[in-house]
Amino acid sequence: MKRRELFGALAAAGAFAQTRSNRVRNACDCAPQIKLATDKPPGAALFRDVGSKLRITGMKVFGVTLDERMGRVDRPYVFVKLETNQGVFGWGEATLEGKAAAAMACVNDLKDLIIGSDPMQVEHLHQLMYIGSFYRGGPVLGSAISGIDQALWDIRGKVLGLPVYELLGGPVDPRGVRGYYHASAWTVSEVRELRDKARAAGVTAFKFQLPDLLEWVETNAKIKRAVRALEIYREGLGPDIDFAVDFHARPSPTVAAILLREVEPLHLLFAEEVCPPENIRAMQRAVRKSTTPIATGERLIASYGFTEIIDLGIVDILQPDIAHVGGVSALWKVAAAGDAAGMRMAPHACEGPVGGIASLHVDAACPNFLAQEICGLVDAGEQNQVWEDLLGFPAMRMVDGRYPLPTKPGLGFEVSEAALKKYPFQGTRPFPMAFHEDGAIASL
Amino acid sequence: MRRRLKAVVAFSPPPQAATGPLQIASLRAWRIREPESGRRYTIIRILSQSGVAGFGEGGAVKAADIADAKTALAGQRATALEFVRNRFASVPALEAALSNALIDLMARSTGVPVYQYLGGPTRFKARLMARMPDIGMAAFAEPVRFAREHGYKTFTLPAPPKEAMTRLQAYVDSVRQKMEGFKKLAGADAEIVLDGAGALLPGDAAMVARALESVHPVWFDEPTSVLTNDALSRITDESIMPVGLGRGIHDVSTFQNLLRWGSVDVLRPSLGLNSLHKIRRMAAIAETHYVAVAPYHDGGPLATMLGIHLAAALTNAYVQEVPIPASPRDRAMRAELLGGTVERAQDGFAALVNQPGLGVRVDEQALNKYSEETV
Repeated sequence: MKRRELFGALAAAGAFAQTRSNRVRNACDCAPQIKLATDKPPGAALFRDVGSKLRITGMKVFGVTLDERMGRVDRPYVFVKLETNQGVFGWGEATLEGKAAAAMACVNDLKDLIIGSDPMQVEHLHQLMYIGSFYRGGPVLGSAISGIDQALWDIRGKVLGLPVYELLGGPVDPRGVRGYYHASAWTVSEVRELRDKARAAGVTAFKFQLPDLLEWVETNAKIKRAVRALEIYREGLGPDIDFAVDFHARPSPTVAAILLREVEPLHLLFAEEVCPPENIRAMQRAVRKSTTPIATGERLIASYGFTEIIDLGIVDILQPDIAHVGGVSALWKVAAAGDAAGMRMAPHACEGPVGGIASLHVDAACPNFLAQEICGLVDAGEQNQVWEDLLGFPAMRMVDGRYPLPTKPGLGFEVSEAALKKYPFQGTRPFPMAFHEDGAIASL
Repeated sequence: MRRRLKAVVAFSPPPQAATGPLQIASLRAWRIREPESGRRYTIIRILSQSGVAGFGEGGAVKAADIADAKTALAGQRATALEFVRNRFASVPALEAALSNALIDLMARSTGVPVYQYLGGPTRFKARLMARMPDIGMAAFAEPVRFAREHGYKTFTLPAPPKEAMTRLQAYVDSVRQKMEGFKKLAGADAEIVLDGAGALLPGDAAMVARALESVHPVWFDEPTSVLTNDALSRITDESIMPVGLGRGIHDVSTFQNLLRWGSVDVLRPSLGLNSLHKIRRMAAIAETHYVAVAPYHDGGPLATMLGIHLAAALTNAYVQEVPIPASPRDRAMRAELLGGTVERAQDGFAALVNQPGLGVRVDEQALNKYSEETV
């Protein structure tokens, strides 16, 4: 080998060694063969000249266990607080039923992607958390991203001096966002009492549940009992108050098809989660024989999770949950896709006040919005105290059937860290379980 | 070429160990015939080298096929369910009997009930459904009384036969009348599965399903024997009546097709044509479609016990069918085969027996007494 050739070979070897050292390595050498970003957070250097001077300097995660009497034992709230170098804070909610500690841990897992970043790059950071996590979906990651995403939007609104719904296109209906309360009543007289309360409070819609657990196929007796329960709701409420029924994925598609056909004359606002969510085509089998509007989506994650259900035209109403789907960003994207497909939005919300208020902002800007769920009954009860403690105002109530829109910048509230100490995290509690007559696990 | 080699490998016997306690030592089969109904089934006993016996049941099998099985299984391990599934795929009733006997043998060898061997109980009792004989309404009273006294609350009711010239509306009315008449006999709380026995044309079955869907039978079983997607969609697209299918199906992929097309609400693999091992594979696919499994059963009492163990282990089992012979003599014979154990329910359910294997004693003297032939 000539001397020049030897130098060339050594130089090439050195270059190769240098390249190898910059590559991702792991024990089995199966990691992606690309150069690693060296800046923190990843990619930040590329945006040095085009971003803001704002930087996220801290992230806190709070587990909040309420008094067990309030029936929230399975879902301690998980709140996320982002702090910035300019004293602006953002709040979001990552509550995940039965998996609070996992959601909290996952929020912390995302810390390296968030600390040091520019909070005004909401979409970029959302993608960083979602695509950068490699395992894109799942409720734990979805909830963690949701909490951080909401907090980013809160900061964004505060910095720009506008409520989040203004940033999303402005309110479609300035009077506010139509909502419904949960209700439980089993006799016509109980439902009539509820109707009177609703009229006095200006409430226009309720949501009930089915009376029984349901098996893969069902007996004549149980089918009739379920239909009768729904007939009682209509008899008691009269024709002017809407009601939806949450099937809560209890029936199989087989049983759901029967119930949906039988309750057509009751003109439900919608039937929710009529069967389990994993097999979209099976759900299609359940809903194709009825004119009852079908709603689903609380367990679907990210806008990608809704693609199939929208493209196949299986449902009428989409119900993403802002605390799981991926925050404000993902909820808005699902709404946009649903709008194009002629589907309406009735976002699910059965967690805490932060996610509930964040939902209102997206709802307000959706032309295809139908109604917002807020976990609670006509009487706010002890929820008022919790809201007073945490946010400084009583539980959100509808006026003339609508939740008034927040007027302050961002999401429109501050959470008191001092008050959070009154409700210390007491660990994860499992989602409640139910069993059939023979001991087999039932879908609750 | 590679594909052909793969096929050869799949059907080759597993490697043989020299000897061992789980090695199959002998096989004996009884070809049983019920004295009055003429119902036929095969009961097989497989003995391991360590002296543990397992009993299985399948549908009627020819003696020549059983003789072939004796040769093929000699020296195999008792765990070789996949070998049995492949080797005897063309004789499904034999596959069922052999594989079920091996499962019983293995459960006894490991000292656990069959439902534990199959994955552990998902429920503490199994719902039963009385399969009523296809006899006229006048003769129904006695077997219905027997079934009610033995704790049954759900019944398969044979749909009346349809003559080609019968007007469809008249036929629908006759089905409705039969269901109403049966309810009067069995009680208002009796739940009915309407058994079409594959006798109707798809269009006629669709009309029956649509007309009677508001009566809510638990499901319409085998409404037609035309199992093409187009034929079945005529029934399932037009009605909310659940449809049960599959009593003649003995390969997993046919069920998979029915599930993909949304043509079936209740999977009905026959215990006479499918081993518990094979039905578990079918059930696993059905589960992802939220579809229930309720094995069809028109065989003997040992298969009833097998079905109960399977129902205990499957998450998507709904009910196990149990034939109720019209003749008291046949009913007594079935109990005799199981050493006096009667196929009974309590408030609609069978209790699980927490004893090794099937948890019942098979009376070999009774098997000899009622067999047409022993191989």
